[in-house]
Amino acid sequence: MGYIEGIMISTCINIVCVCGLTLLTGYVGLFSMGHACFVCIGAYVSAILTKYFGIPYGLALILGGSVAALSSIIIGYPTLRGKLSADCFAIATLGFSEAVRIILSNINHPYVGGALGISGIPHKTGLLQAIVIAIISIFFIYNYTRSQHGKIALAIRDHADASELIGVNIFREKLKVLMISAFFCGVGGGMMAHYYTYMVPNTFGAVMSTNLLTAVVLGGISSVTGPVLASIVLTATPELLRFMSNWRLAIYGFVLIVMMRIRPEGLLGHKELSLRPLLNLYHKLRSKKINTTANISSKKGGN
Amino acid sequence: MALLELKDLSVHFGGVKAVQNVTFSMEEGDFKGLIGPNGAGKTTVFNAITGVVKPTAGEIHFDGHLLNGMRPDKIAHLGIARTFQNIRIYPKMKVHENVAIGLNSVPSYNILSAMLKTPNVRKKDKETYEESLKYLDEVGILEYKDYEAGALPYGLQRKLEIARALATKPKLLFLDEPAAGMNTGESVELISFLKKLHKDTGLAIVLIEHHLEVVMEVCKNVTVLNLGQTLASGTPEEIQNNPKVIKAYIGERRQKNVV
Repeated sequence: MGYIEGIMISTCINIVCVCGLTLLTGYVGLFSMGHACFVCIGAYVSAILTKYFGIPYGLALILGGSVAALSSIIIGYPTLRGKLSADCFAIATLGFSEAVRIILSNINHPYVGGALGISGIPHKTGLLQAIVIAIISIFFIYNYTRSQHGKIALAIRDHADASELIGVNIFREKLKVLMISAFFCGVGGGMMAHYYTYMVPNTFGAVMSTNLLTAVVLGGISSVTGPVLASIVLTATPELLRFMSNWRLAIYGFVLIVMMRIRPEGLLGHKELSLRPLLNLYHKLRSKKINTTANISSKKGGN
Repeated sequence: MALLELKDLSVHFGGVKAVQNVTFSMEEGDFKGLIGPNGAGKTTVFNAITGVVKPTAGEIHFDGHLLNGMRPDKIAHLGIARTFQNIRIYPKMKVHENVAIGLNSVPSYNILSAMLKTPNVRKKDKETYEESLKYLDEVGILEYKDYEAGALPYGLQRKLEIARALATKPKLLFLDEPAAGMNTGESVELISFLKKLHKDTGLAIVLIEHHLEVVMEVCKNVTVLNLGQTLASGTPEEIQNNPKVIKAYIGERRQKNVV
């Protein structure tokens, strides 16, 4: 049970982070290769706050997210102001993320702990908390994408130049979305710190950033439920394939390639998960059943 | 004072002098045509006014503001809207959502209430929806409001782009080749549409167009550009009889046909 619970909690943490990144990548169209640094900042800030200052868990998560959001201005201001193209932005975030990681490894203050990281963080993230926070995050991001803010984000992705001539302040809107995405990653980081109870800077490397981006791209562009579904699949698949030990990463990679070949727009590109198709299918099957029974009875009548 | 005034506007790209010393002014409610052969600098004039390219020299005044060096979105908020030669609507959004972007280019509520979907947000979204229908009705595509914008036929996408521009509540509207890719029948329809639009809204409109019959039919005043410079300016009749214009514009077309 503990094993399954662990997978579920890390899935929930992943969902919170992916919720933030999907707003940036799926809606504004900016690819970030370094969102792990915001997870990292959120984790450190909230862990220090709860461990050394006795701040309550919920508040620490919000503060961690807020610091992550503020730190995103450091990279967002110069790159977005200068109208850097999307690929340059990806590289810039990658550099920023590595810089944050290296700097944290070299701060030997007892609160930060240098390369050894922080241990003995109070264990606060249980299954219930994780699920509740994940659901709240999905709810927030989903509403956001349906609001005027979300529509403007989509408009920027489709035609940034035309949107600017309509009166959209491209820089401000992009920076806003970057900050929101950093906030959610920061909250996810806080949850992570309070689940594993220890952490080292190297956890938050390029692999984590890539995994987050993979979930967003695989889940589908301009969709919220798609990336959420993808992060569930992506966290569960390596665990399901664990019995194949050496081969599991190869199979994982193969599945990704096949997925992108079959559906380049992602699992649910431009769509949301809803129960409507299932309901439609149900109604169809039902009417068919009624028809066939009607046919049978009419045949019987004919005979 | 004139609504829009260009004083000796020049735009150079490296050594290319795309626009040189162009001067013209517009009053409120004017309907001006801007014509000229390919590469005459018509779109560059638009781009300079709307802030997409920076003028090399000269001044652009609009409604008491100096536009030189201003950001495009600020210029848009002053009341200048435009459409594009190649249509730039948001294809994946619904038709009414396209117009809504024009209405709320700056969101009318904050991030937190958007995430919580407060009653105020619902109310404002509903208002936006209803207002967007008004603009769709104005250009005559109300029945397509729930279509995906990219699925509309070409002519209707043009109209949607105009509706989106109108939704920004401009004082001056630039139309960059609205008849591009249209056949004669569609052009005739466009002419009556533009006339009606001008009459209903009373907007100042500048029209760039290759289809001369459209320009001559709807514009009260025409400016001809050639090689980045103003060649002539006047009423459609004057322009049609101006020998310089015939040589530069119509003469060139005949040569093209021979080749």
